Amino acid sequence: MSEERREPEGTRSPAFRRFVGDTVGALAFPLIAIVISFLIGAVIMLATGNNPLTAFGALFRGAFGDPLAIGRTLLTATPLIFTGLAVAVAFRAGLFNIGGEGQFFIGAITAAWLGVSLGSLGPLGMALALLGCALTGFLWGAIPGFLKAYFGAHEVITTIMLNFVATYLATYLALNPLRSEGLVPGTATIDLGARIPFIGLGLGRANYGLLLALVAAVVVYLLLWRTRRGFEIRAVGLSPGAANYAGMRIGLNTVLALAIGGSLAALGGGEEVLGVYGKMSIPFVYNIGFNGIGVALLGRNHPVGVVLGAILFGGLASGAQEMQFSTDVPLQLADVLLAVILLLVTATKLVELIVGKRARALAGTRLEGGL
Amino acid sequence: MTERETGGETAGATESPVVLEMRGVTKTFGATRANDEVSITLHRGEILGLLGENGAGKSTLMKILYGLYRPDAGSIFMDGEEVEIHDPKDAVERGIGMVHQHFTLIPPLTVAENIVLGAEPRRGAALDLEGAIKATEELSERYGLRVDPRSRVADLSVGVQQRVEILKTLYREARILILDEPTSVLTPQETEDLFSVLKELVADGLSIIFITHKLGELLGVSDRITIIRDGRVVDTVKTAETNERELARLMVGRDVLLRVEKKDVEPGEPRLAGEELVVRSNTGAVVVDGVSLEVRAGEILGVAGVDGNGQTELAEALAGVRRAESGHVYLDGEDVTASGADARQERGLAYVPEDRGKKGLVLDFHLYENNTLKTYDEPPFSKWGWIFPKIMRRRAAEALRAYDVRPPDPDARARSLSGGNQQKAIVARELSGDPGVIIASQPTRGVDVGAIEFIHSQLLEQRSEGKAILLISLELEEVRSLSDRIVVLYAGKLVGEVTPDATDEELGLLMAGQGSEQETTA
Amino acid sequence: MEDFFGSFGTLLASTIRNATPLIFAALGGMFSERSGVVNIALEGLMLISAFAGVVGASLSGSALVGLATGLAAGLLFALIHALMCVTFEADQIISGTAINLLALGGTGFLMVEIFGSGGTSPRVSGFKEVPIPLLSDIPVIGTALFNQSLLVYLMYLLIPITYLAVFRTPFGLRLRATGEVPEAVDTAGVSVWRMRYYGVALSGLLAACGGVYLSMGILSAFTENMTGGRGFIALAALIFGRWNPIGAAAAALLFGFALAVTFQVPQEVIPLEFIQMLPYILTIVVLVGFGGRAIAPAAIGKPYRKE
Repeated sequence: MSEERREPEGTRSPAFRRFVGDTVGALAFPLIAIVISFLIGAVIMLATGNNPLTAFGALFRGAFGDPLAIGRTLLTATPLIFTGLAVAVAFRAGLFNIGGEGQFFIGAITAAWLGVSLGSLGPLGMALALLGCALTGFLWGAIPGFLKAYFGAHEVITTIMLNFVATYLATYLALNPLRSEGLVPGTATIDLGARIPFIGLGLGRANYGLLLALVAAVVVYLLLWRTRRGFEIRAVGLSPGAANYAGMRIGLNTVLALAIGGSLAALGGGEEVLGVYGKMSIPFVYNIGFNGIGVALLGRNHPVGVVLGAILFGGLASGAQEMQFSTDVPLQLADVLLAVILLLVTATKLVELIVGKRARALAGTRLEGGL
Repeated sequence: MTERETGGETAGATESPVVLEMRGVTKTFGATRANDEVSITLHRGEILGLLGENGAGKSTLMKILYGLYRPDAGSIFMDGEEVEIHDPKDAVERGIGMVHQHFTLIPPLTVAENIVLGAEPRRGAALDLEGAIKATEELSERYGLRVDPRSRVADLSVGVQQRVEILKTLYREARILILDEPTSVLTPQETEDLFSVLKELVADGLSIIFITHKLGELLGVSDRITIIRDGRVVDTVKTAETNERELARLMVGRDVLLRVEKKDVEPGEPRLAGEELVVRSNTGAVVVDGVSLEVRAGEILGVAGVDGNGQTELAEALAGVRRAESGHVYLDGEDVTASGADARQERGLAYVPEDRGKKGLVLDFHLYENNTLKTYDEPPFSKWGWIFPKIMRRRAAEALRAYDVRPPDPDARARSLSGGNQQKAIVARELSGDPGVIIASQPTRGVDVGAIEFIHSQLLEQRSEGKAILLISLELEEVRSLSDRIVVLYAGKLVGEVTPDATDEELGLLMAGQGSEQETTA
Repeated sequence: MEDFFGSFGTLLASTIRNATPLIFAALGGMFSERSGVVNIALEGLMLISAFAGVVGASLSGSALVGLATGLAAGLLFALIHALMCVTFEADQIISGTAINLLALGGTGFLMVEIFGSGGTSPRVSGFKEVPIPLLSDIPVIGTALFNQSLLVYLMYLLIPITYLAVFRTPFGLRLRATGEVPEAVDTAGVSVWRMRYYGVALSGLLAACGGVYLSMGILSAFTENMTGGRGFIALAALIFGRWNPIGAAAAALLFGFALAVTFQVPQEVIPLEFIQMLPYILTIVVLVGFGGRAIAPAAIGKPYRKE
């Protein structure tokens, strides 16, 4: 139904008003979801005999209270930006990239390997290692893309299966060919010279990988809205029928979208190894894949949203530790809160009831569900 | 068009009791008043035609009757008593049955299963399949609706599927039957079959409401006709006392020229040619079976035929969207068979597809993105892999204004436009590149009258400029009024070429596969 | 010879044990998907039920109570999924993912709250093996098939029962219709939403059986994230089995075999991690070789809106 809006003379241009409307609408429901989720969290806290005010206070303190806390938040957020972008790019092509976890591991083991072998090259070694991550991640991500494009194998299942394959593969490599002598099972430690430097400024172990992540976000934005490839990816994601009729190649874009996603997630893994740990020790515990999905959805599959979402997630994770430390609330509550946020964000009809129909129409992408 | 014999009158039909009356029904959707104080009456044993254009409000009215919508005002009386119909279940219990334009049959299930769904005969906790089959056979016998209860709906032809839909309503003991555009998917012969079934039904005491925009058919089968225009009842006439011109005038509101004025244009060289094209559908079946045709500069070649005879795949193969299994396609003499849609578009081929929502537009893209859906990778919109939205917007604004798209806002999302405007946006995109060849597949389906006239005039203008146009349409009227030559597609083959003066009978026979020449090249 | 039969028997028994949770989950997934709702939350449903079962058993000392609490948890989470997908028209895959996250976080959180620490819960009374007289004496296969826990016997019964339910009852007819052409069901006067709630609820109950068996039939304890992807494997089995109970069960059996093998193959031959990869690679191979898109229920994945 077309809405004929009569613009009175002399008001702000329709484009500006639309932009403001779009932004407000886009922010509205994630914010509402967060508020409701916190309320539910408060209820849970009360139910388990805790004081929500002190608990949330500890939560915020642990997230943003002092430079060390902020550093922790940024540290946790950085890999989430990468995996969030990985999911977002795929979503734009109409695909579900649940393989962030596996792609992350592939990147991590690649970085661990190249970081050690090229460690003597210092910063050049680090750059090459990161490049290597992007490459191996690209190839790993291309696998489910290819399987989907040419065999119709649904990427939800293939990416999840490949997660397991990747983690086992990386584990094997870390414990056998790449194993280092030493008490902690895992790879050798990379030379300091080849590592991503810490930012310092009292921010703990937050490193310049964050900068890399932000650059990646900008690149993704430009890719999606300023390049031909991005135009095609978005068209394929929103309407494969029309894209096909326009002469675009759906298979190619499917593979590329998932491959680019793989690259991004792998860079996240590389950043953690090269920037934070300096090695890959087993167990290399993460829940980065699923959290990446949450970040992407919360951020409406837009790079800016992903960055903001990652900071939120990072803050929650960092704050949860403080919360567990100073109160009795287990840190897994943060996971629960995140899951609730996700549920609410995706229940567009519910949000429509609260915020109105226009907000609903601003959903990020049209996703083809169905297995 | 030949003058139809008015008929279909059952003796004394209009003196029989009133079984249904809708009085003063009003229904508004947002800013649109779909029904405005509409009143109709239906007598027992009569066939009432509900005539109106697309969007006139006929379907809305019937959906209210069937309980799918609640009216904002007005009442419904059945057998003299006022009733409230809350949902289809209510309507069915009161003996109202509806056969929708788009069938609600379940392809993987059998005929019997489809018919009994929701009112299944049981044996204990289990489904009594045998009982279902028996019930189906009984009804089938009684009303002359031949079906095989055990066959899967997916394997049936459209005409037979429609019989299943009717049987569904009869199984639930409908006394009032509503048919919504039942003949849009039938050949003229299947239509005649349907009409005899309807006469059987009214002889048994059923009353029928027949919704259509095809006035010719109503003259053949109905007793009375109510004409609806812009949500209001214009008039109700006795079929025996009216004729085509009057109905057309009532339906559209002005004296409609049933034929559009066409200039004489001397056709030139062939610009689009297909040679022995064989194309398979998605399911692997051969749906275009050795078709050869030629469209010359300055002419419109119309392809008529019932839906599902290969039209879509033929258009797709010619446009390069679907690979032909064998055969060739030529554009201005050049063999483009191996080129994709992209390349053909660059050589001057425009394609207006029949499914604007899923194939023609990316509904969630802005209009400026849709406008460059095929040209986004060419200068000036693109260079070295980058694209320039500002330039896209500017060009789109021009195109949208030139082709009367409302609102002509490049930032509007395609989804927010009405069907007619969406179609015009597609036309704007395809024609503003000054193509040499145009393939238009169902270009005015589901579009309002104003947009239909605009699109038709655009096509004729292109024709005068020496372009070659292939028009594929299910609407015989459209094909007749626009084409210079007409061919008919049946079961993947071209079975006859006629001029626009051909009679309905000639065309109907061809469309049903009974032409005098078995295969033709156009 | 005896040695071969011995290890064959062990392998068969292990296959059945590993396949059981998969079969339960696949059957559950079938009800949901046949009604038109994608259910990738099977993983989370199994996990939360596995946990709830252990909690119930630990608090009451009875395995049956544990089963009841497990079923309740599975049903509850399934209803959340139904609420999101059917009533609030959320994207079904996203909702499923969120449920999985909720289960993961929730079980971790509650592990600490209830049992004091993460990792593995204390042992509870589980569903021990109960041999069926006579049948379990059949040579070679008797012990493997008929000396299993009660839940396994339940699984045997459920396969034919679900088949009959789906293809021979009015409920089954309506369910299938809802997943193919919801408009037809609506116009026939049956509530699409109610059918979908039923479908999803049943998936919750059946997945719960699988989850409870996982924690209480095999281990008698709950370990964090113990489902390890089984919910997704079950989904692949469902697709491989063409959304048909018999087919899905057969496929799940195959995957169960792959899982069983990971415990039996000697590690000197192939490194442990590669053995562990096997079930997952098999799933991919199966999906690729038997592409499931063409025959899914036609209306799956899309919320039903009255026009």
